[in-house]
Order: sequence, then structure tokens, then C-alpha cells
Amino acid sequence: MRKLLEIALGVLTAIGGFVDIGDLVASTETGARFGLGLAWVLVVGVLGIILYAEMAGRVASVSGRAVFDLVRERLGAGVGLLNLAASFFITLLTLAAEIGGVALSLQLATSVNYLLFVPIVGFLVWLVCWRVRFEVMDNAVGLLGLALVVVAVAVWRAHPDWGAMWHSATHPVVPGTESHTAYWYFAIALLGSAMTPYEVFFFSSGAVEQRWTRSDLVVNRLNVYIGFPLGGLLALALMVAAALVLEPRGIDPSHLSQAALPTSLVLGKLGLALALLGFFACTSGAALETALSCGYSVAQYLGWPWGKFLKPVQAPRFQLVVLASITLGAGLLLTTLDPVKLTEYAIVLSAAALPLTYLPLLIVANDPAYLGDKVNSRLSNAIASAYLAVLVVASVATIPLMIVSKAGGG
Amino acid sequence: MTRHPRQPSCTPAEPTRRRRDLAAVGLGLLLLVATAGCTGPVRSDGVYASKAAATAGAAGSAVQTAELAVQEAAAGRLFSRGLAQTLAEAASDAGDVQATFDAIQPPDRRSEVLRGQLDRLLTPAASALADLRIAARWGDTAALPSVAAPLPELAAELQQFQEAHQ
Repeated sequence: MRKLLEIALGVLTAIGGFVDIGDLVASTETGARFGLGLAWVLVVGVLGIILYAEMAGRVASVSGRAVFDLVRERLGAGVGLLNLAASFFITLLTLAAEIGGVALSLQLATSVNYLLFVPIVGFLVWLVCWRVRFEVMDNAVGLLGLALVVVAVAVWRAHPDWGAMWHSATHPVVPGTESHTAYWYFAIALLGSAMTPYEVFFFSSGAVEQRWTRSDLVVNRLNVYIGFPLGGLLALALMVAAALVLEPRGIDPSHLSQAALPTSLVLGKLGLALALLGFFACTSGAALETALSCGYSVAQYLGWPWGKFLKPVQAPRFQLVVLASITLGAGLLLTTLDPVKLTEYAIVLSAAALPLTYLPLLIVANDPAYLGDKVNSRLSNAIASAYLAVLVVASVATIPLMIVSKAGGG
Repeated sequence: MTRHPRQPSCTPAEPTRRRRDLAAVGLGLLLLVATAGCTGPVRSDGVYASKAAATAGAAGSAVQTAELAVQEAAAGRLFSRGLAQTLAEAASDAGDVQATFDAIQPPDRRSEVLRGQLDRLLTPAASALADLRIAARWGDTAALPSVAAPLPELAAELQQFQEAHQ
């Protein structure tokens, strides 16, 4: 019974914790600009993160060690450093974007300028990273994030023409007002938001934090195979809501407030309150995850003691990196950089760095020295290799597309 | 016997130069990425027209956002704080797109005419959105529908302009 409860809680938190500021921005913006013409990318991204997160969780459960820890040992300090540098930079940008997302959610609820909230949010993120137990933190924000289900309810209550929606999702076209380069730029952004690197670092480090063993492989699979697709449905709901309400009006969202308008239109103030709670919870959860991921990645690469299962005095350098990352992230926002623009850049650059994260993971997941008989099957290797090829193409195309499409502007 | 010093495969300056080249390439790439969304100088009327169309689209988006927010507020579906925030953002967006567009030098007389046409739509749009923002901040919710009355027509004209010059 206890195991069942643990599994149910894990699945629920995986659903509630799936969406972050990147998904909020990318799904809403693509839905408003391209309708459901990019829904297929969300499906590709969610399947990709399922594939690689399962791998990361399995590596951690069987070896008892997190991904970065093994990448350096297996591939050497040079490759490990390249992996670390790219991933840390992206995760730091994402952390800043998530802190901005929390501050923007608070601004929507209070009308107080988000910049005033940034230092407070930064402090609270640090305090939770420092003081609150991993399980409590993970479960609380994951469960609160379930408030975002309200967006899916709003879509359902809007009584859309499901047949027409299915047709537009399965027969994607570039709207006349958009260029092909903008379409592909946003396709890459959406892929980056779904497969952002910190997700695998946090997932594998979290498995070590929770002391997963081989007996937890079922929990790992259920979390990933059930929780992630359902979480992905929330991202899809955001896209559909934007396609239903914002696209026909020609609204190109550039603020978080616009992402909430479809829900309030259908469900009124209660729906809006739940959507804002969901925005707050999912960005708060992701801010904690990215802050910890910064600490995990550096500490694991350098071989320092790490983790929230250790007292701060036992892992001081890990805690210091977490604190420094939060300070840098909050400082970046205090330069008045627009958090939504920052998110757009973070997810696109994240797409550019994806192969650097996922190739080492694929190599480690095939090493019997770490995984014994739990190495990847031929089928999962074939699919993972195909994904890697897609990621390499996306990575190479990212910067040229960013320049040609003027960052999706035209 | 003459001593021949061992020839290094590369001079000590080479790694430094390579590092410097790498740093220059990296910096160049960073600048390209950072300025990818920026507005550059316009040298042809075609490019100017496409920028005008994009500006009309962005202004239309702000107008439509405000219109939707006012409709929702009138139906009691939006909190007053959320409404004020949304309208403030819409007003700020409209002002920003107008300022950005007006900063672009029209390359010829034809473009100058186009600038005038678009400005005749942007100015009332920005003004109406500013009025809405002020009314919402004062909590004058009852006045919002009348202040927002010109928005549907403005949105339609901006959309027509965008479609005509895309």
C-alpha cells in the first residue's frame, strides 16, 4: 500500500512538475501564432524527454550515481567539461527565467512590479534549497502545479471542434502571416522547452537524493511513462487554449498575463485564480529544480559532496554554487531584462546544447560496467539514436534560424 | 658541435593566437545571437513595408489583447488587478512598437507615405490603450466599455494594413 501511494505521489508530482516557464511561453506563443501547426513538435519533445529521463533515472537507480558524476568518469574531464559548460550556462539562464516567471505570477496577482519580487523570490528559493527536505519540496510544488489542470478543463469547457483541431494538428501548415523560418525557429524552441537539459540532471540527481535502487526501477518507469505524458498534455492544453482564443484575434503573446486570458474567458475568476496558482507553482518548482541542478552539475563534475540529503555543512561548496547561481539569476533579471524574452532565448539556446547533454547520457546508459544487465535495449538505442540525430540537426540549425528569422520575429 | 635547439611543433604564440581567434569567433557569435531580434537600417521600400506590416501586427495584437481583457472584465471574469496589469502591458507594447517604427528612417518618398498611413492608425491605438490603462488604474470599470469602443475598428484597420503590406 505504501509503495502504491509512493508511486501515485511520484506520478502526480511528475505531472504537476512537468510544465515550467519555458513550456508556458513556448506553448502559448506557438499556439497563438501557428494554431496547432506545431503540436507535433510537442509530441516529439515529450517522447524524447520520456526516453532520456527514463535512461537517467535507470542509470541513477542501478549505479547509485547521478549523470554528471558518471559522464566525467566515463568520457574524461575534457568532454565532461564541455558538457558541464554548455549545460550550466543554459540551466543558469533557465533559473533566471523561472525566477522571473514566479515574480511575474506574483505581479499578476498583486499589480506590484515584478522587479520588486525578484530579490524576495531569489531569497525564498535559496531558503527552500537550504532548509527544506528534498521530498517535501518536490512533492509540495509538484502537487501545487496540478492547479494547471484548470487550463485543460477550460479547453474542454470551451467545446472546441475536436475534429477540426485534430485535422490542424495532423496537417500542419504555416499561416499566411508567418514565414517558414519563423515556423522552424519556433519548432526548435518548442523542442528545447520540452527537452531542456536540467530536467535530466534533476531527475537523475533526485533519484540519488531519494536513494533509489534497482527496486525503484518500476517507480522510475511509472513516473516517466505516466507522469510525463500527462504533464505534456498540460503543455498541449496551453497551446490549444491559445490556438482557440488568441490566434483568431491575432494576439501574439509577449506577457504571462496573456497566457491566462483563455482560461479566464471560459472559467471566469475561479479559473483565473487556479491558473495563476498553477503558473506560480510550476515556475517556483522549476526555479528550485534549476537552482539545485546548477549545484548538482558543478559539484558532480568536480567530485564535491553534494545533495540535500547531506547537511549544508557537509556539502558547503554545493550549497555555495546553488547560492551563487540564484544570486546571478536574480541579478540578471534586475538588469530589467524581460523575463519572457529571456525565456525565449533560454529555450532556443537550450535546443542548441541538447546533443551535449543527451549523447553522454546515451553512452553511459550503454555501459555494462555501470548498469550491468540494465543497459539500453536495442530498440531503445535505435530510438535514442534517431532522436540524437534530430537533436544534432536542431542544434546546428538553431543559430542560423535565429538570425534569419530575426529570433522568430519575421 | 653546433647545438640545434629542438623545434617546437608550433611557436608558443600559436596557442595564444588560437585562443584569441576562438574568443573572437565566440564573441562574434554571441553578438549575432544577441542582436538577432534587433532592428537594422532599412535600404529598400520592400523591407520598410514588411517592417510596417510587422508593426501593424504587433500593435493589432496589443489592441486585441486590451479588447479581450475589457470584454472579460465586463463579464466579471477578470480581477481588477489582472485587468489593470493586462491593460498597462498592452498600452506599453503599443507605445513601444510605435516608437521603434518611428525610429526607422524611411528609405524613400513612398515609404514616407506608408509611415504616415501607419502612424494614423498607431497614434489613436496607443492613445486609446493609454486611456484604458488610466481608467483601469483608477478603478473606473464602468467607463471601460465606452473607452474601448474604438478598439474593434482600430484592430480591423491594423489587420487590413498588415495584410496589404506583408
